[in-house]
Amino acid sequence: MASTRLYTVIFVTLMAFSTAQALFEFTGILDRAYWFALGVIMVLSTIKATLVAGYFQHLVHEPRSITYLIAGALVGVLALTAGAAYSIL
Amino acid sequence: MTEHADHDHEHHLPPKSSVKRWLVTTNHKDIGVLYIITSLFFLVAGGILAMMIRAQLWTPGGTLLGGQGYNQAVTSHGLLMVFWFISPFAFGLANYLVPLQIGADDLAFPRLNAMSYWVYLFSGLLFLTSFFLGSSLAGGWTIYQPLNVPAFIPEVNQVGSLATIFALMLFVAAVTMGSVNFLTTFYRMRAEGLRVRDMPLFSVSILLTVWMMLFAFAALLAAVILLSFDHLLGSVWFSTAEGGSLLWAHLFWFFGHPEVYIVFFPALGVMAEVFQTFSGKRIVGRKWFVIAMALVAIQSFVVWMHHMFLTAINLPIKTIFMATTIGISLPFDLMVFALIYTLAKGKIRFKTPFLFSFGALLLFILGGITGVFLGAVVLDYQFRGTYWVVAHFHYVMFGGGTALIGGLYYWYPKMTGKMYDEFLGKVHFAMFFVGFNLLYFPMFVVWETPRRVFDYAAEFTMWHRLATVGAFLFAASFLVMIYNMFKSLHSGEEAPDNPWEYASAGEWAVPSPPPLENYPGVPSYAGGKLSFLTRSEAADGGTVVEQEVAGTEQTAPDGGAIAHAGAAATTPTTDYAEELALEDEHADHASIWPFAISASAFVTFLGLSGISKAYFIWPFVFATGFMVAYFGIEGGRREGFGWIHPVVMALGGAIAAGGAYLLAIDKGGLGAAIDGASVYFWLTTVGAFMGAATLTQLGFEEFNVPEPAIAEQWPFEAVSNVKLGMWMFLGSDVILFGAFIGSYIFMRVGHGWTDWHHDFIPEAHVVLPGLINTYLLLASSFAVVLALVAARQQNRRRLLGYLITTFLLGVGFLINKAVEWEHLFHLHEGAFADGWTFTTNIASSSFYITTGLHGAHVAVGLLITLYLIVRAYNGAYLGEEEADTIEHFGLYWHFVDIVWLFLFPLFYIL
Amino acid sequence: MGPGGISTEIAYVLGQTGGLSRTPADVFNTVYLVFLILGTLVGVVVIGYTLTKAWRYRDDGERDDESESDKVVRPVLGHLPTGSGGGKKLFVSFGISAVIVLSLIVWTYSALLFVDDTPPEVAAEGEEPLEIEVVGKQFNWEYTYPNGHTEEPTLYIPEDRPIRLKVTAADVWHNYGISEFRVKTDAIPGQTTTAWFVADETGTYEAVCYELCGSGHSAMRGDVVVMEQEEFEEWYANTTDGSTSASVNSDVTGDTDANANTNAADPAATEGEA
Repeated sequence: MASTRLYTVIFVTLMAFSTAQALFEFTGILDRAYWFALGVIMVLSTIKATLVAGYFQHLVHEPRSITYLIAGALVGVLALTAGAAYSIL
Repeated sequence: MTEHADHDHEHHLPPKSSVKRWLVTTNHKDIGVLYIITSLFFLVAGGILAMMIRAQLWTPGGTLLGGQGYNQAVTSHGLLMVFWFISPFAFGLANYLVPLQIGADDLAFPRLNAMSYWVYLFSGLLFLTSFFLGSSLAGGWTIYQPLNVPAFIPEVNQVGSLATIFALMLFVAAVTMGSVNFLTTFYRMRAEGLRVRDMPLFSVSILLTVWMMLFAFAALLAAVILLSFDHLLGSVWFSTAEGGSLLWAHLFWFFGHPEVYIVFFPALGVMAEVFQTFSGKRIVGRKWFVIAMALVAIQSFVVWMHHMFLTAINLPIKTIFMATTIGISLPFDLMVFALIYTLAKGKIRFKTPFLFSFGALLLFILGGITGVFLGAVVLDYQFRGTYWVVAHFHYVMFGGGTALIGGLYYWYPKMTGKMYDEFLGKVHFAMFFVGFNLLYFPMFVVWETPRRVFDYAAEFTMWHRLATVGAFLFAASFLVMIYNMFKSLHSGEEAPDNPWEYASAGEWAVPSPPPLENYPGVPSYAGGKLSFLTRSEAADGGTVVEQEVAGTEQTAPDGGAIAHAGAAATTPTTDYAEELALEDEHADHASIWPFAISASAFVTFLGLSGISKAYFIWPFVFATGFMVAYFGIEGGRREGFGWIHPVVMALGGAIAAGGAYLLAIDKGGLGAAIDGASVYFWLTTVGAFMGAATLTQLGFEEFNVPEPAIAEQWPFEAVSNVKLGMWMFLGSDVILFGAFIGSYIFMRVGHGWTDWHHDFIPEAHVVLPGLINTYLLLASSFAVVLALVAARQQNRRRLLGYLITTFLLGVGFLINKAVEWEHLFHLHEGAFADGWTFTTNIASSSFYITTGLHGAHVAVGLLITLYLIVRAYNGAYLGEEEADTIEHFGLYWHFVDIVWLFLFPLFYIL
Repeated sequence: MGPGGISTEIAYVLGQTGGLSRTPADVFNTVYLVFLILGTLVGVVVIGYTLTKAWRYRDDGERDDESESDKVVRPVLGHLPTGSGGGKKLFVSFGISAVIVLSLIVWTYSALLFVDDTPPEVAAEGEEPLEIEVVGKQFNWEYTYPNGHTEEPTLYIPEDRPIRLKVTAADVWHNYGISEFRVKTDAIPGQTTTAWFVADETGTYEAVCYELCGSGHSAMRGDVVVMEQEEFEEWYANTTDGSTSASVNSDVTGDTDANANTNAADPAATEGEA
């Protein structure tokens, strides 16, 4: 189990990243460079999710097979989203 | 027999002759029997509908049922057979046999297992009730859109249609609970020395089936939930012209294709078992058989668009899905050949189970060959919507059903302790097989008949009559079966432990029927064959075992798994024997709450089927208030009163009173509100209150399910059953929320990603409320983490403090959301002069429904938090192991947090 | 099936016969025939083999147990499974089946490309395809010709000229198909799909809905009248821009009432709305 200090650092990072995401809108970067902003924002969300899953849900300490289980579900649903969206392009 | 009965009494389980036994039992064998009987009941229901269809088709344009009636019959027949008969029938067998085959004394979560069953039963009853609520759903079992949204359903049929949709939703809930339960059992409770790949093939097939179920049904759940909101609140997911129809097709078939294998795999498992037993041979190429099945299970998730070849999807994607479709047909070739070659050099006895399995193989070969026709897209185009498809999938799916019937005969002696009547069994098979082919083969001949149409070319009449005759013969064959089952139960020969020469799976090594705890000792396969260690021997057994496992390591070509097995076998400690003794004493087998909760769900959803939009939320507000207050009452009553209990009760009262106040404002006085409420409102309210009470009782119930002290647990050795179950559940939830988000992305891509914001979303929809909620939720996640640390450190006050912090932050989240929604609902901006509500456009629908469902997850989490607070007040959850409950709750809460981390940018920023 | 036997048929689809124009119906019928022959063959062989083996190795208590059983390890209760031989045979048969299936599908892929789009050689040979928009609605078909003329529920088309359909739906999901010409495509609200065909004989045929679309689904069928080219030209010349017609041949439009169970082709039905 990680220490309370590590948890705190992660929490602060999460808050900072969220603020950063909102700043893309507040500063107008989103309007000027939409796709760039979209990329960065989604990457930030992914990092945040990974931090929560890895440390708050202790995935890093669990058997790797649990990570595979969740990754499998993610791959499945991404296949659905990507396949469906691509099919109508 | 009698000594087993005595055992049953020791476990406080009423005898099998008492009705109460069947309401409270959580034992996997009892529940297996309940599943089988219930599924046969739905087979009869679906069968009667089939007879009506065939009767209508006696002459072209028959008039027996009328247009809407005929559509209702084909729809209900499909839904009942696919969902309420065939899979539950297979899972009746699985419930009974999987623990016996893998050496477990029950499923991992017995109460959850009972709940799966009861929810399944009540979902089916809700389905049947829909016939009496105007009309059942009439838009086809594939429920294509927008035919099945309210705009295209006649007013009088809407309540019944929604009831059918809710029935499906409840069914999916039952399936998900079952999948989680089976997966945990498979991975955590195998007998020592039993590797996953060495399980009997029936168990292997069920394992792969539940994996597919866990993921595929989550996609169906997403689709059905969205559809139900189109009905309940008037959202426009599936009535949106740009992509609504295709969205449904994608979601449905993403579920629907794996579903084909979900239906067929258990049958394949039965065939493998029965072929081995009755030919006296191990299956040829066992390893490849298992690999082929696993491949199919994975590939089944990437073939769904072959059901959509004639839609507007583009050519490249058609090509890809054509390729994956051919890919998935190949492993089946291998499995069929493996079964066929198993017969060679066998000592084949044509007993009833074998006849059915053998017949199933022949039917499946025909179904497979006609399926290759469909793989050629040019042919598929023309077969679309015709009887070719109807005939093909009946050959495949009821071909599978044929094997399952064989399975029922095969295991009948095990389950009842009586032999069935062999002669009647053979008569059944003869009628069944002839009837089957007479019914479905003519459909290939006159394949140009349009599907779900009761008018056909006059020259086809003879063939359709032949099919109708076959149908009645086919149906009659089941009467023979049912008679046989009843008769044999009373006057059949006593069945020995193992009535079948060459049967090899574990269930045949115990009495027929097996005693409550299944085995005479602790089952172990460590020596390469099944042995039972007595409780006291088991302690020493650990070391012996270790040597034996080490011994096999050299002979096996693939060391990976064996190394794991060896590692698990070394875990037993010195107090092992004590643990075993403990296990024997404390296992519970009876709880009424699964039944009661499921009955509440039935009442609630029956009410929801007819509730008006304006009243939808209120039963749940009041029930929440009641539930919160009830936490306080029950917590104090059971564990001792303290300041927390009156506070919680007051909170519950405040929620209810606040709800009543808001309702009164909304409807212009409480009297007016009550006058305006329909009977459906009261049904929903009663159901929700019952649900609140029974769920609370379940939460407080002492129910002991010891984990096996020694078991093969690769690859999940280091987690507890509950934690693994939680993760399995979260895996399916990933698909559920992924499908919601995916639906949003699909609709947005369909409209034009960047135009979406401009076209659909008002200026007033700003980032700030989302950002605040992100902060609140992240902080609450952090608080849960700290609560876990406090619980581990046995600090009651800090645990309580952090839990209360979590609760307050969550409440803040919901209040912030309510304020935001209220504002958006009542906009008067230019393009949105009437507000921006559920019904405004696809962007508002997707925003409210997706974030609303997330909000519902938050609300559920808050209720659990309150429950934890009440328990923690009296000192629960303190200590290294006790804190696990907090951790499991945390897994859920953090998951809800993670979902929000994606909803925030997608719905607020981009 | 066209004249000239199977070999010509196969040559057709393989594109070896050049100069002959193909239609989707030809392609379908050929591919279907080949599949039917091969499918029957495979079915008979596999099922025959299976039945033979099952009978040959039946346990009638007469076979000499010793000689057979020497080589076969029989399953024993409670024993973990051990491999049962025969893997080679398994893979040979699997390989053969894979080759058959794969080659069939690869072969039909070219046919798919042909059916999915009007290939230039077809367009070049005959006239320009006649493009007709089809709208499915409960429980009828509405056709719009290039000159804006709409027709309902009967489709009038010329013989021997490629017809290209652009299909959509006004309310719910339908599926438009004329079985005789092997043409079929989904009619989905908000989406447009295309399909093409050639009618090679005059007469009256039926366009049917192949997707459950409501209470009148079973009766959602309309006539397709194939006329000689000149006759069609004459008829077409008499239609005017944007006119809607109940129609020349005193054909009729059906009742579109969602709850009515009318037969669109019923000659006693009322006149069209417009």
